[in-house]
Amino acid sequence: MAEGNTIKVTDAEFESVVLQSDVPVLVDFWAPWCGPCVMATPVLEKIAGEYAGQLKVCKVNVDEERQIASQHGIMSIPTLFLFKDGQVVDQVTGVTPNFEADLKKKIDAQLG
Amino acid sequence: MDRNDLLYDVIIVGAGPAGLGAAVYTARDRLKTLILEKFMPGGQINNTDRIENYPGFERIAGPELIERMQEQVHSFGAESKTGSDVTRLEKLPDGNIAVYCDETRYVARAVILAPGSDYRKLGIPGEDEFRNAGAGVSYCGTCDAPFFREKQVVAVGGGNTAVEETLHLVKYADKVTLIHRRDEFRASRILAEELLAKADEPHSNLVIKYDTIATAIEGQGKVQSVKLRNVKTDQEEDYPCDGVFIFVGMVPNTTFLHGFVDLTDGGFIKCDCAYLRTSVPGVFVAGDCRIGAAMQLVTAVADGVNAAMWLKHYYRDPKWWSAPVSDMLQPGGW
Repeated sequence: MAEGNTIKVTDAEFESVVLQSDVPVLVDFWAPWCGPCVMATPVLEKIAGEYAGQLKVCKVNVDEERQIASQHGIMSIPTLFLFKDGQVVDQVTGVTPNFEADLKKKIDAQLG
Repeated sequence: MDRNDLLYDVIIVGAGPAGLGAAVYTARDRLKTLILEKFMPGGQINNTDRIENYPGFERIAGPELIERMQEQVHSFGAESKTGSDVTRLEKLPDGNIAVYCDETRYVARAVILAPGSDYRKLGIPGEDEFRNAGAGVSYCGTCDAPFFREKQVVAVGGGNTAVEETLHLVKYADKVTLIHRRDEFRASRILAEELLAKADEPHSNLVIKYDTIATAIEGQGKVQSVKLRNVKTDQEEDYPCDGVFIFVGMVPNTTFLHGFVDLTDGGFIKCDCAYLRTSVPGVFVAGDCRIGAAMQLVTAVADGVNAAMWLKHYYRDPKWWSAPVSDMLQPGGW
């Protein structure tokens, strides 16, 4: 399992790291007390490794970065937003049964 | 078997309580053990912070118990891989079993299937729509309760999970309405009593509606109400709320096994329930995903141990696979 491929993002960094990114960004809104969020970690690390250079995978801890989470109306975690040119273009809520495949399909559609 | 294959004695599919329970025994028996897990270990038990029915533990959180189990299996030498989603299995001509995670192939003399289960959906209009939009449908109270502070939610279900999660929700939401299709709870008595006591408190923020089902979830862009029907009077109402939490049981995670082992129409893995043998020689089953599963932490662990014990009988005599259940047999012969 690859580790350390994902990027931790704070409220303050969100604009520069996510919204102004040159490449699409997958943002994971999560919290350490959320079982499914923690379970999804290896899949996100793997995706970050496999798509390195084409896609950034960022993690926003909703406990610490409340502003961004509330701005995006997060009501369930994990919720993953796919950003392209500063806009949300797709999303996944919860850890779906075929989580890795579902995410890759959405990412590939944006990478074209 | 290809020359390049590394042969494991046993591959365990799923690192929940069943898979880890099996691994404690196989690894202690010095069997070369590989555990494949598509996410992080634990499965459903990660979603509970209060386990009070695991003998020897007055109270423990799911993730903590799993961490201990993992340390234990690793200390005995089991190998485990996370982020490894098993996509298919194949019985090889030499009797071994190939397990594939997409293109990556592993081979073992025997396999224990312990893929566990996932939450069941209600299957009503609005459920998927609001879920996919992250707009107020949830299957995990521990995850999402904090987002419903000063809000009103409806919870659906009557089992242990529904009651535990409702007791968690009342700590956050302004008002929680638990609807249950029957007139009494299936949950353990001790939990049901705690729930009823909470509802009876003066000015309680918990309301229980019996004999009631949800027939649709509605709203503009986000959940705003749920359509309820009393199954005895057929009376319907639009019940305003900001979120719907669904706890109506589990379904087995077995779609990747279609065409490999025999499954029931509901997707449960068929087995003999005594030795946990499936329709494919050398492939055992353990935990929530098998017919007759009690869907409990302890029974999942016990299944894993049973499978690990009977495994050795299969190694010694593969023909035993088709033998009937017998009172003469002792597992593994020790």
